Amino acid sequence: MLTPTPLRVALMSCAHTHAAGYAALLEARADVDLVVADPDGFGNVSARSLVGSYEEAWDRWADGPEAIVVTSANAHHRDLVLEAARRGVHVLCEKPLATTVADAEEMVAACRDAGVVLMTAFPVHFSPAVAALRTAAADGTLGEVIGLTGTNNGKLPAGRDWFSDPELAGGGALVDHTVHLAQILDSLLGEPETVHAVTNRILWKDRAGDAETGGLVTLTYPGGLVATIDCSWSQPADAPTWGGLTLQAVGTGGQLQIDAFAPHVGGPGRWLPYGTDLDAALLEAFLGAVRAGEAVEPTGEVGLRTTRVVAAAQESVRTGQPVPLASL
Amino acid sequence: MPQFSADPAPDQHSSPLRVGIVGTGGISRAHAPGWVEAGAELHCHSVAGAEEFAAQFGARVHADLGSLLAAVDVVDVCTPTPEHGAIVHAALDAGLDVVCEKPLALTAEEADDLVAHAERAGRRLLPAHVVRYFPQYAAAKRAIDAGEIGEIAVLRFERTGSFPRQPWFGDESLSGGIVMDQMIHDIDQALWMAGPAVAVHARQHTAAATDEVRTAHVVLTHASGAISHCRGLWGAPGTAFRYTFDLAGSGGCLRYDSAGDSGITFDAVAAARQASGDGFLPEVTTFPSPYAEEILDFVAALSSGGAARVDGADGAEAVRVAGAALQSLRTGRSIAC
Repeated sequence: MLTPTPLRVALMSCAHTHAAGYAALLEARADVDLVVADPDGFGNVSARSLVGSYEEAWDRWADGPEAIVVTSANAHHRDLVLEAARRGVHVLCEKPLATTVADAEEMVAACRDAGVVLMTAFPVHFSPAVAALRTAAADGTLGEVIGLTGTNNGKLPAGRDWFSDPELAGGGALVDHTVHLAQILDSLLGEPETVHAVTNRILWKDRAGDAETGGLVTLTYPGGLVATIDCSWSQPADAPTWGGLTLQAVGTGGQLQIDAFAPHVGGPGRWLPYGTDLDAALLEAFLGAVRAGEAVEPTGEVGLRTTRVVAAAQESVRTGQPVPLASL
Repeated sequence: MPQFSADPAPDQHSSPLRVGIVGTGGISRAHAPGWVEAGAELHCHSVAGAEEFAAQFGARVHADLGSLLAAVDVVDVCTPTPEHGAIVHAALDAGLDVVCEKPLALTAEEADDLVAHAERAGRRLLPAHVVRYFPQYAAAKRAIDAGEIGEIAVLRFERTGSFPRQPWFGDESLSGGIVMDQMIHDIDQALWMAGPAVAVHARQHTAAATDEVRTAHVVLTHASGAISHCRGLWGAPGTAFRYTFDLAGSGGCLRYDSAGDSGITFDAVAAARQASGDGFLPEVTTFPSPYAEEILDFVAALSSGGAARVDGADGAEAVRVAGAALQSLRTGRSIAC
């Protein structure tokens, strides 16, 4: 089989903990020519072509990159994505798409107007467990679904203090861990009508600064279906794995509970994951979309819709009341 | 305080504790073995099923409440919730201590009134919040109190069952619905473990196809800053009873799932033989009956005048918070409490 001409891909920033994994997967592909920009000097992402500034990454090839992967601190997504759109470069942007709805809207519009692919990095979209849930909901196995409860609990990301810096991250756990489940719910149900959220700062108090570390987000959908997301960074520091994602759906046809990161070999203090490589599936989908010139799920639009859910959750924390999504 | 000398051993000389069970439906059958184990002399009164109950547990049937109240030391109120108030008041007026199934009442005002009456009468009012006697929850509570998971931050509780067989449970005006009747157990747990609540937000959804499949989500904000999620479900016919909790603190997490490994697992071949009667496999549980533990704790508290694991104020507080959740359901607002 012929190897297609390698796609010129720039991975922009090593600020996000996912950067190292994406870089390794991209570097291993024969159909990708990769440059990694590490302007902050995190120094823990290895690549044959590693540069110290975004300029060098944009200039790595005479014609520039064909696609970028944005793994900067959340607040910097906007500038990188807008620059990519200006240059006619396709984008895979780490979640959350942006720290404000206005930024997310601008990014989606810019990429649409430029005719470039914008996708949001929701790897769990590619989980076989999530696919099983989507199928069971769609084919009627669960009957009429009336409620869902999701958890996306993790440790406070280590060695990346910006995750708990509300300026750079847009918030704390509410921003970091609501969107994965919000994206799955979006793919099942569309957008919620109202969002209610409560947060606190009890976990990781010594390290997390002003960021919320615990949160419960309740979404109500047209017709009354209710879903709650526990977005807390509640995985203890000494746990053998980073955390996980579960979602339970209940309906007139019974219940389905999924645990996207369940596949592992265990032992006291041991956790050897063996499941589908979700990051690899995400990158495969993105590179296919780049070659086809057309975005596939998870798109920038779902990135925008989940950013709106987070913004409503933050507004609810401020007001203490449920927030209609339409009021944003 | 106690007007009797309760003695859990039936073969000793002091006279046995005389207990009057009012209402001999489902929950009375769960309470009765505890009273029997405590050596109590049982009396009962009910609009239906009293003779059968009496035959099963060795109780004396009373044709009316007044006759029962005149014959006992303690009344155990096991009627549908709307009848609790009148019976509790009558028992207190008769100078008796009272055990009352949860919820104490359908409104905070009514529950507070019962607690105040008990205080005025100098009698005990013990609400049967049995989940405090499930060893899993009790173990978690002890660990939290001992500081084993640091400062408690995020609590999640789930309770799942089939739609109750007695139709009155499904009538929200009679039972308070899934929040007041089922979830109140987990609301009580959240308050027990994380302290008083200051705000409540609730959502409930009933299937369009059948009103017997319902779920409710309630989020509590505690005065301590902790936050709790309670998820109740009356599931599709055949839904197995299940309860879970997940408690996260600054120093660790505690988890329990009743659908997890019980320590007794039949493979599919053995399970099929058990169901068909081909093999004799005894029904066993891996922990003592929480209902019996509850009744024995109440007997000890009544006997000593000391504290029980749950008291009337706890029962009234659970009703107050569940009532705030119902108000949130009606208004769509988060309710301060």
